[in-house]
Order: sequence, then structure tokens, then C-alpha cells
Amino acid sequence: MESVFEKLWRIGAAAFVLKAIVAAVAGDLLLLGFILLRRTYRKRYFARRDARAFRFRQQWDALISGEIPYDTWREKSFDRRIVETMVLDALEAANPKESARLLGFLRLSGLIDKRIFEARHHRGWRRWRALVALGRTRAPEGITALAEGLRDRRMDTRMASLRGLGRMACPEAASEILTWVGEAGLVVPALPLQSALIPCCAEKPQLLLPYLQHAAGPVREMLGRVLGEVATASLGTDLLQFAEDPLDELRAAAARAMPHAQPRLAVEILSQLAQDSVWFVRLRAIVSLGKLGHSDSIPVLLKGTADSNRLVRLRAAEALVDFKTGQISIFEQVVALQDRYGLHAYLTALENAGLRANLETDIKAVKNMKPAQKAVLIEVLQKGTPTVEQPAQTETVTSDMAMPS
Amino acid sequence: MIWFLDTANHTLFWYYVVCNLSYLIMLLIALKTSAAHQRRLESHRLSWIKDTPLAPPITIIVPAHNEDKSIRVSIRSLLELDYPEMEVIAVNDGSTDRTLAEMQEEFKLRRVMSLYIPQVHSAPVRALYRSDADPRLVVLDKDPGGSKADAVNAGLNAATSPYVCVVDADSILERDALLRIMVPVLADPKRVVCAGGIVRVLNGSEIEGGRLRKVRLPRKSIEVIQVVEYLRAFLIGREAWAQGNMLMIISGAFGVFRTDLIRKIGGYRASAIGEDIDLVARLHRHLREQGADYHIQFVPDPVCWTEVPSDLRSLGRQRARWQKGLLDVLWPNRDMLFRPRYGRIGFFALPYLWIFEFFAPIIELGGIATIALAAWLGVLSREFFIQFLIFGYAFATVISIGSVLQEELTYKRYSDWQDVFRLVSYCFLEHFPYRQLHMIWRLQGIVQYLRGDVRWRPMKRQGLESAGTP
Repeated sequence: MESVFEKLWRIGAAAFVLKAIVAAVAGDLLLLGFILLRRTYRKRYFARRDARAFRFRQQWDALISGEIPYDTWREKSFDRRIVETMVLDALEAANPKESARLLGFLRLSGLIDKRIFEARHHRGWRRWRALVALGRTRAPEGITALAEGLRDRRMDTRMASLRGLGRMACPEAASEILTWVGEAGLVVPALPLQSALIPCCAEKPQLLLPYLQHAAGPVREMLGRVLGEVATASLGTDLLQFAEDPLDELRAAAARAMPHAQPRLAVEILSQLAQDSVWFVRLRAIVSLGKLGHSDSIPVLLKGTADSNRLVRLRAAEALVDFKTGQISIFEQVVALQDRYGLHAYLTALENAGLRANLETDIKAVKNMKPAQKAVLIEVLQKGTPTVEQPAQTETVTSDMAMPS
Repeated sequence: MIWFLDTANHTLFWYYVVCNLSYLIMLLIALKTSAAHQRRLESHRLSWIKDTPLAPPITIIVPAHNEDKSIRVSIRSLLELDYPEMEVIAVNDGSTDRTLAEMQEEFKLRRVMSLYIPQVHSAPVRALYRSDADPRLVVLDKDPGGSKADAVNAGLNAATSPYVCVVDADSILERDALLRIMVPVLADPKRVVCAGGIVRVLNGSEIEGGRLRKVRLPRKSIEVIQVVEYLRAFLIGREAWAQGNMLMIISGAFGVFRTDLIRKIGGYRASAIGEDIDLVARLHRHLREQGADYHIQFVPDPVCWTEVPSDLRSLGRQRARWQKGLLDVLWPNRDMLFRPRYGRIGFFALPYLWIFEFFAPIIELGGIATIALAAWLGVLSREFFIQFLIFGYAFATVISIGSVLQEELTYKRYSDWQDVFRLVSYCFLEHFPYRQLHMIWRLQGIVQYLRGDVRWRPMKRQGLESAGTP
């Protein structure tokens, strides 16, 4: 059998061109026709939708209270979509009392049942839309249907379910997500999963601990990051076990969560983590030390200003500048480090906080300092160069693909 | 002679067929991809990126050389972008006009001592300023480096975030552009190393206080043709190439990159003519050589509006420069061609650029010459010639209308009926004589490059506020 190319060669260019002309002109006309028809249709559709939405808005209270019989709008999909969108939008900004009223309306009108049905029985984008809408209702009865969506073979369905569960923002939704992650592993991108888990676990971060202990690899990293975000003082010493974890991400997460532990213990652990070989673990530790604002952390932060990574330097400098007292002493120690970029990082942080002029005034006003020493500090503050220049350190990143958590 | 003309004409015919078929395949891929993207957006809310504590900080670098007409508007619009944590570094690249003075007046700059580690090469920095009006703004005043790349490198040395976004000073980003461009990065931060957004034509639209108030088509024909070109290039070309992870260019006007990676490859190449395509080619090379699992993404909805040339002379210079930039990347990277180490880049993306981008002006203009010669010698079938013209015209128009359709189906920025009518009209009108003129400019670019003429020729600009006035 001859190939397409052989056929084309045999019929010759001229015959091919004639057919191609017809196809191309037909293509042009079809495309143009489609654009014109679509525009006309959409123009009419939106005009109709706006008019209808305006009518519903005028009758809002009667609609929500059920004075207007549900059947008058529920049977027509066009009206039903408008009402549902309006109610879900209102739910976003509603106070608890209004939320309860709107949720009651969604239940009584059967909209939640309908969405649960769609989330279970429809396919493709109709199902995705139903899953997201169900999540937006925050109705607990929708959690089971959303959890079923998590186990679908299509990525888009899983993502829509995840978003829906994230919107629920309750421990029950967190349990469903965590159980599913335990069964299936990381079968969706980590970030949407983290974003869904953070609001769901915020109320009860302890939910994460058993899963963290049994998980491995990327799932453990992801759960570690979530823990770092939601950790509260209620976790107490549970966090300590992760400070020496072999996984970089988990050590970083422990560092991020540590400000919620007992301060003295936290400073000790964070000081160790600030010496870690992985730059983003050091970064998290330095940021957390800054949040704690404990004077014991000053030597570690000073060392951080001379770190090989510039982000660590900057965050260490910012943390030092955040100390309300002893800024002159800190500045003296920064100058004594004789690290040009460390000094620049400190001065940058000082500038950003708008405290440079204050520090200069404070140095001038201080009494227990020799004039020569004052002059040196003021000169360094004004010129931004240390008294003895040191060669620049180069930034090293442990891995090409390493990123902050 | 007759044999030569016959062969040349047939070569041109098949070149044209293959070229347009590739466009058609790209159009189909792009239609499918953007339809899926739209569906996904329906169930997606950008607000969570805005609120999530996991969104990494971004440094926006704005290189500016003699941009006193647009710098205020541009920076103001950048500072108004929706993103949880960002800083803007405006690099005044030795401007001889009032660029620095304009920024000083508008943003109340004060000289500061700030962290600047010269990790990638750039011309010396004179001073660093921070804005009292908005502390997120840092202005870096440096000696002229002679290229945009040099200015961006200086910005890279001062950047403090894990991601940098490079934006041209004559461009305006839509308010949610950063949130949108970061969607693929946040979804897969380990693999996605950079992402590009769509660049659209600002001319003709209305701007107020650094924000786009109303999108309109420009009045001048030459500008409208560029609108069609941009739609075709971004909504079809880049969308399709990115699907296969073969995107070879992220527009210099708007793109997000991983800071550590750009620093690692030495930043932008200061001597590059097309620094944007050069950077992406070097990223591909570096990552392929490392055996990294990576993705370079195109996101079609974060929009950057930019001023395009509004006179033939400036447009000709721009297109000649783009062609020089292309050759300046293709030639040094010729060793990547057909080598398994470079995978699909070496087997598909680069050969495509060589054949359908670099050789296009030579083949098309050469083809016109051989057709004319064949007609003069009487060896050309008039019937075939006319049919070929009609076919070429109709097929190319399908692609252009396809890009307008793509715009209609997805982003629909031109809501006015009159604008759409004009846009479609120019899909029919751009093929003659604009296309031939375009090929001549590109051929000029090749000749200039081969002669070693890589001078930057200034382009006439109106400035953002006036460019955006209909």
C-alpha cells in the first residue's frame, strides 16, 4: 500500500492544491461563522442572565426565606445556576448567622442534594464544577461525596475534590484527605494538597502526627510543610522528634513550627538547625529565631549574617534589627564580624525598617563608649564599609533543584 | 536553468505546505490545551495563592534605559500588583534622560546601603535607592552596560527572592498577572523552573493611573497587524511548544525564573542580541546536561501589555534585531542539533527554528524571485501559480483567524464588535505586502549579523500614557 507521501507525489502538486484551496477557504468560512455565531449567542445569553439575576436580587429575602416556592426556579437549570451562584457568593462574605441561614436555604431547596448527586454521578467538567460548588457550601454532608472524588482516576476530578475539601476547612475533611494520601500516596501536585490541608488541619494539627510518623518520601515532606504552617503550642514536645529527621524538608518544617514550642527549648533546637548543611533549613531556623526574639539567639543570628546564602544573611539581619533593645551592641558585633556582605545585609534591614537614623542618633547619645569607637561605628554606618575589607563569599546552594519549602 | 527553477518552485511549495501544516497542528494543540486550561480555571480560585503562606516571594526586575516617558506609570502599576510578597528593583541603566529624576520625584527615593553581591557580571553600580513612598521599591543606578541583559544582571545581584520576574519598563502587567503566572510554579515547584506569560499590544488601549482602563485595538494598520501576529505567536505557537516542553523563548517583556538557576548559569549574556531567547536556550542546555527533570511553562492568561512600534522604520529595526537575536542563539547552540543528550530540543525545537524561522526569509524571498523568473521565462504554469497563491493565502488566513478564534474562545479581551471585525479583516490583509516586507526586514537582520553589525538601533516610542491613548 502506498504511503501518504507517495500518493501526494503521484497526484502532483496541482491536484493537491485545488483540493487544499477548497479546504482552506472552507476553513476560513467556518472559523468566521463560528466566531460570529458564538459572539451573538453569548451577547444574548449574558443579557438574559443579568436581567434574571437582577430580578432575583430584588426578591432576595423572599427567595432565601422560601416565600418564593422553590419549584418556581429550581426546575429551570438557567435560574437554578443563577440562584446557586448568588447564594455561594453571599456565603463567602457572610457572618455565622447569615451563613447558617444560607446553608439552611441550600439544604431546604435541595441544591446541596443535587450537587451531591452530580458529584457522584456526572462525569468530566460537570462533575468538577459540582465538586467545587459542594465545597463552597461547607455543608458537612458533602464530605463523603468529595472524598469519593479523591479516588477518581482523573487528575482533574481529584484536584476539584481537593479544592472542595479545602474549602470545607474542618477536621473531618482533613481526615478524609489524610486517609486518601495514606492509601494512594502523592497522586496530585503537592501545593494544592498542602493548600487544602492547611485550613482543614488548622483547628486540630495533631491529626497530622500519626500520618507523619508512618509516611515516607515526598508525602512526608509535604505533610512536614503543612505541619510547619499549622503547628501551635498544643503540639508541644511532639515537634522535637522532627528536628533531627533525616529529611531536609521535615527539619525545615520543624524549624518553622518551633516558635510555638517552649522558648528556651526552641532557641536551643533552632540554634542547632541554624547550623544545618541545607540552606533552607538554616533559613527557616533563622526566621523562627527572629520570631522568638529571644536574646540568647543573637550569637546565632550574627553568625547567620555571614552565611553562604544571601537569603539566610538577609533574614538573620532582619531578625537582628527586630530586637527592640541593644541595637548598638548588635551593630558593634556585626562590624566586628568584618564581613562586608553581612554588614550590607544588616544595613539593608536597618534601612528597610527605617531605623538607620535612629541608630546613628543612639550611637551619638551613648555615654559609656569611647569617642574613637563611636566615630568608627558612625563611619561604618554612613559609608557601609567595614574597617578592614574581606573577600566576598560566594553563595552556594546545596542542590541545583533545591528550593525553600 | 529550467530544471533549477522547477526544483526551486517545488521546494518552495512543499516548504510552504509543511510550514502551514505545522502551524495547523500547533493551532489544534493550542485549542485543546487552552480549552482544558479554561475548564480548570472555572474550578480554581486565584485568591488562595494570594492568601497562602506558601507563595514564595518574587523580585520584579525592571531594566530601564531612557524610559522617562513610561517609567512612572510602569512602576506604579507594578507596585499595585496582587501578590503576597514582592519587591520591585528598577535598574536605571545609565539613562541620559530624566528616568532617574522621574523616579526620584514620583517615589521619593533616598540613597541606601543595600545588599548587592556581584554574583553575575554587570557594569558597576553607582548607587542604590529605596523609596520612601513604597519600601518595596529599590532603584539601582548603574553605569550604562550597553544591553538590557547587563541591567537585568545588576538587578539579579540585588534580588533577594527565590524567584525573579523580568518586566520591560514600557510594559504594564494586569493586576493578577503574577498570581496567574505563578500557578504552574506553585503546582510543581521542583520541576517548573520558569514560566512565561502572554504579551499583548498596548497601543490604542486606554490607561489611567498605571492601570489599563479599556482594551481597544490600535488605529494604525501596522499596529493592528502586530496584534494578529502577537496572538498567533503566543496563543498558538508558545502554547503548543510549551505542551511538549520545547518552549524556546520566554518573552523578555514578562517571565518568571528561579533566581538560583539563572545565577548558576551566569545570568543573562550581556552580549546577546536576543537576551530572552538566549537565556531560555542556555537554561535548556544546562538542565539537559545535568539530566534534570524540568519544565518550562507558558501560561496564556497572565497578561503583559506592551507598546509596539507604530512606524515602519522602528518595526523594521525591531524585526531585524529579532532575527539577529535568533541567529545569535542558533549558531552558538548548533552543537545541540540532533544529539540525544539534548532530547526533543535538539531533535525538534532547534531544527524547527532553523528551518521555519531562520531560513524563512531566505526561502520565501528566494521563492518569490524564482517564481518571477520562471514566469518571465515562460516555464511556470500560470494555472498552478494562481492556485498556489490562493492556497497559500487561504491556508495562512486559517491560521490567523484560528488565533483570533482562540482569543474569542478563551480570553476575549477585545469585546467591541468593531474591534473583532477589524481584527478579522487584518487576518486577510496582512499577507500582502506586509508579509513580504517583514521577510525583507528579517533578511536585513541576517545580513547585518553576518556583517558583524550588532548595533542597537533606537526605536521611536510614545511612552505608556500616550501609547495607550486611542
